[in-house]
Amino acid sequence: MKKRILALGLALLMLVGILAGCNKDGGSGKYVGADECGEYELVTIDGFDHQFKKYTNMTTENITLRYFNFDSDVVTQELAKIFMKIYPNIKVETTFEAVDTYNTTLGTLINNGETPDVVMTSDADYALSNRIFLDIAKYWGTDDETPLLASTINSAKIGCYGLEGHRYAVPMKFFPTAVAVDRNVLKKLSIAIPDQNWKWADMINIIKAGKQPKSLDGMEYYGLFAYTRLDSLYGIAAGGDIIGEFGFDGKDFDLSAWAVGEQEYGDLRVSGYVAPDRDTLANEEWLGDPANWSGLSGHVAIFTEPFWTYQNIWLAETEDGVTQMEANNLDIVPYVIPSASNTDEGLHNTIATMDFGGVSSATKYPREAYELLKFMTFGIDGWYARISLYNDESIVTASGTPLRTDNMPAPLTTDQGVWNAYIDMFCKGMDDEHKEHWTDFFASCMQPIPYGWVSIAGYHTACDEYFNKIGIHGIVDAGTGQAADYVDEATRKFNYYHAEAMINYFGPSGYNVLSEAEIAEYTEMKNANA
Amino acid sequence: MEETKKLTRKDKKELKERMKHLKSGKLEKRDARVGYIFMIPWFIGAAAFLAYPLINSFWYALNEIKITPMGRDFAFSGIKNFTNILLQDPDFLVELVDYLTSTILSVPIIVVFALIIAMMLNMKIKGKGFFRVIFFLPVIIVSGPILGQLTAEGAGSISAIDMNSITSAISSVLPSMLAEPISDLFNNMITTLWYSGVQILIFLSGLQKIDKSMYEAAKIDGGSGWECFWKITLPNLKSMILLNVVYTVVFISNNDQNPIIGLIEDSMFSGAPGRGYGYAAAMAWLYTVVVILLVGLFALLLMTRKDAYEKQVKRAKRAIKKEARTRKKIERRNVRNAKRIEHQRAQGKITSRTTSREDY
Repeated sequence: MKKRILALGLALLMLVGILAGCNKDGGSGKYVGADECGEYELVTIDGFDHQFKKYTNMTTENITLRYFNFDSDVVTQELAKIFMKIYPNIKVETTFEAVDTYNTTLGTLINNGETPDVVMTSDADYALSNRIFLDIAKYWGTDDETPLLASTINSAKIGCYGLEGHRYAVPMKFFPTAVAVDRNVLKKLSIAIPDQNWKWADMINIIKAGKQPKSLDGMEYYGLFAYTRLDSLYGIAAGGDIIGEFGFDGKDFDLSAWAVGEQEYGDLRVSGYVAPDRDTLANEEWLGDPANWSGLSGHVAIFTEPFWTYQNIWLAETEDGVTQMEANNLDIVPYVIPSASNTDEGLHNTIATMDFGGVSSATKYPREAYELLKFMTFGIDGWYARISLYNDESIVTASGTPLRTDNMPAPLTTDQGVWNAYIDMFCKGMDDEHKEHWTDFFASCMQPIPYGWVSIAGYHTACDEYFNKIGIHGIVDAGTGQAADYVDEATRKFNYYHAEAMINYFGPSGYNVLSEAEIAEYTEMKNANA
Repeated sequence: MEETKKLTRKDKKELKERMKHLKSGKLEKRDARVGYIFMIPWFIGAAAFLAYPLINSFWYALNEIKITPMGRDFAFSGIKNFTNILLQDPDFLVELVDYLTSTILSVPIIVVFALIIAMMLNMKIKGKGFFRVIFFLPVIIVSGPILGQLTAEGAGSISAIDMNSITSAISSVLPSMLAEPISDLFNNMITTLWYSGVQILIFLSGLQKIDKSMYEAAKIDGGSGWECFWKITLPNLKSMILLNVVYTVVFISNNDQNPIIGLIEDSMFSGAPGRGYGYAAAMAWLYTVVVILLVGLFALLLMTRKDAYEKQVKRAKRAIKKEARTRKKIERRNVRNAKRIEHQRAQGKITSRTTSREDY
């Protein structure tokens, strides 16, 4: 009898457990989210002078939001804690996944029905073909902070994939591309220091003048070390109505402008103006070790290094308490990518590294997920929180370094308060002249254009299946072919892949948001370029 | 004495029918039941983790699939995925040819190396156990990501070898289709040899099973070590060689370093139109067929090779059969001749006098 009672008790316990599991989100009934951003109240959080917005039309239920990313893990976790203080009923679970395995893990989660609520993405094609993102146009359109973003985000419809009235992705991280000039090298070689309004031709002249085969220290000087190829820079700086890589104007590609930059870069390489790549025999002959990096050599005039190189390496402290720049006698300052047009004055579009993400199409709480996405990425409040984290040197990465050195992005908002705080944090320890230089640089890079694979449908596939397969960069760099010879074919191919992707992603078998006229237009484009 | 009767075909059929209706005993039934019970876990495992995924992946291959957060979208596309892979995919066939060439080249090297090392480890040497561990260690340590990292760091090649000279020498003699995989093989020599840990163990177990008295007998008859290897060791390891070849082909084919595996994975998570799980499944099926054919080819090559002793036995048997046939033929001819003589005698064509030598 006792055994029977025990068995019944256990069965009852299991049943209760199963039923409790069915209600793990703690929701009571169907949740209907708000259709707009709406009103907010200001809340104060301990340790912050800044007051944070708390939107009033957010759910009051206890919910959990999952945030899947390849951002800096510590920063993301700390930001999530602050968000949870603003909205105590929302629990945020952040998951970091390395870029290499990002799509695989995300695909597995989606396949298992465990799609996170907010998702970062490594390429647009994967996200769009699997309809990962929700259309968040209604929140974006009613958000008073989105008009404050860098102008091209809205004017070039970045994240809208050319569609009017829809928005699927937002820029999550922004790394402006700077042309880094080592003023000490220019001084040593008696080359005039350029001003911030320099032009493309000025940069090329400096690169050419920077090549000095013989020097007093017996080591060769080079004009350029290119992490980012010059054709990527030129392709956008060429101006006109280009709002994407390879001459993309929002509808079509035209690679003629790209070909000019590609050829120019190829010619510079062939003529020996470009420093050897790492892990090559030429680099070993030049720097004594193939693995040595020319960025610390003090023998290169211009670099096209990523934005994070400054904080991660050049401005990072050595064991002696000085920066790498001071230790290696460098004076590297950022310049905006020069415009290719001599008549172009003021701001112009520049290529920038931007990571994108969005709200998952499977989320139960789109309004709340949008707010989380905004806080963690482009929102003003989120940036105040971020800057305070970067300023707090007691918070360090897993490797024990300050958060600033962990690929720190720049704000995408134009809010002056955020920028003042950011520049103060970024330029800590710099003299006034350098700080002013950086301030000018930041002001001049606010018309960013992202790389094609995150912002143009079909671009990643076209590169994968055509451009990189042929190896055009290698051919032009080796001087065995001319960039101009590929312009017509590449333009046709990229237009074909783009049209096919647009139909596939946004047509009836995808999001189904294209009108019949648009489908006909893309079909015609696809057939014309087949 | 009871006369034994040879069963005719009809008798055999009747006996078979009768056996069918015979009821088995209780003990036999219980034994059978226990046997089935022991087999059930395997059947469940095979059905859940082999048959179901196989059928499922084949169904995937016939569809265009999108994995969306709202669920999986299946659009039946028939054999479209297969035709696209074979006719339009710029990578698959190229990688497949590379895979076939490199596998055909590296399998013999791995197996021969494993055999040599196994024979050395089977000798009477000090620290035999230690050396066995050394050769098996890569199997445990160098797997998956670690192997990838070591290869990326250049640990997979012998640094003392001047690869540029080897590549240019090979390229000057062979067409690029062959020169490339051969120079790749030299470039990844260490990695290739790391793959032989399991094969060494298999050969070792085979070597230890060979009867030592055979070697002693051979030595008494004046057989050299070289002759012993070809006449005793190798014929006795024949089945192990086949096993190792099959194992090596399967290992190379499923290895993380194999570019086709990477290609399938990339297709699975590609956002390109027409790609995805369905396309990757079709690619995996095509690849599986090729691997099976390759295993079959190796098996065919190694299984048809009979050893000298078997050949001689077969030849002797054939000779005996031939001799028996000839004897029967002669007997039949003698009977025929006797009948003919008898008939002629009856007709009086020949006298009863026995022919003598003088008649000729």
